[in-house]
Amino acid sequence: MDKKLLSLLVCPVSKAPLEYREEAQELVCKASGLAYPVRDGIPVMLESEARQLTAEEKLEK
Amino acid sequence: MKEGKTTHFGYQQVPVEEKAGRVAEVFHSVAARYDVMNDLMSGGIHRLWKRFTIELSGARPGQTILDIAGGTGDLTARFSRIVGPEGTVLLADINESMLKVGRDRLLDRGIAGNVFPVQADAQYLPFPDDTFDCVTIAFGLRNVTDKDLALRSMLRTLKPGGRLLVLEFSKPQSKLLEKVYDQYSFRLLPVMGKLVANDADSYRYLAESIRMHPDQETLKQMMEDAGFVDCEYHNMTGGIVALHKGIKP
Repeated sequence: MDKKLLSLLVCPVSKAPLEYREEAQELVCKASGLAYPVRDGIPVMLESEARQLTAEEKLEK
Repeated sequence: MKEGKTTHFGYQQVPVEEKAGRVAEVFHSVAARYDVMNDLMSGGIHRLWKRFTIELSGARPGQTILDIAGGTGDLTARFSRIVGPEGTVLLADINESMLKVGRDRLLDRGIAGNVFPVQADAQYLPFPDDTFDCVTIAFGLRNVTDKDLALRSMLRTLKPGGRLLVLEFSKPQSKLLEKVYDQYSFRLLPVMGKLVANDADSYRYLAESIRMHPDQETLKQMMEDAGFVDCEYHNMTGGIVALHKGIKP
C-alpha cells in the first residue's frame, strides 16, 4: 500500500489511523475493532464490509 | 407491525436501509456503458459542465483533492494533471463496479502515481479532519441517502478555507425548458437506456431521482446549515444542471 494513501485513510467509524496488514490485505483499526479489506489494491472503507477483530487480535501489539 | 423510516428511490418510497442497495444495483448495471450513455444523453454537454467545475475548483499543483462519487474518473483525470506529482487525488465511490471501471480507464489514459481509488461512503468519509484543499461531488449527492450527513462529513475533511463543489442536476429556470426536459427525460431517456445499455429501469430511476433532488436554493440552504460559508451556485444549461460552491470557514 502506498504510504501517502495510508496516511490519508482513517477508520470511518472511529476516525483513528489504520494499520496495514499486508499478508491479510487488511486495514486494521484497534479503536473500533474492525478490519477493512483491500481488494484488488482498492481499500474498501465501508463498515458493512469490515470484519470484526477477534479478542486475540485486539490484544496483539 | 412497526413502521420503519422510508426515503425516496426515484418516485418510490423504500425503507431507509434499502436505498443504498437499490442505488448500488443501478450503478452495477450501468457501469460498463456509463460514459457512452453520458455523452449520448447530454449530447456531450456534460464535458462542459465538468470543465467549468474544474475552473471553479481553483486547483493548483501540490494540492490534495477528493473526488467523491467520482465514478469513471472524469474529474479525477483532470485534477491529476493539475496537482502534478507533488499533489494527490483520491477517487472515492461507494460502488465497486464504478470504481473499477474508473481505475482501469485512468490507467488506460496513463494517469497514475498521484491518483488512488478508495471505496467509501460519502456519509462516513474515511479521511482525517482538515485534509483536502477541494472536495468535489459530481452527479453523486442525488443518490446519497442522508445528504445532510454527507455534507457535514465533507466539511469535516476539508481544510479551513477549502472548497466544496457540488455538480448536480437541478431545476430548469424556465417553464418551457422544463416541459421539453420532462418529455425528454420521461419518454426518450428510458428508450435510449433500453437501446444502448439494455436497461430502461436504471434510466427511469435517473429521471425520477433528478426530480426528487433539492432545487438550487434548497441545496444552498442545506450547505449553509451544514456549516459552509460563502455559498453560491451557477446554473448551467438553463438550470438543468447547477454547480454549488461552499467554503469551510
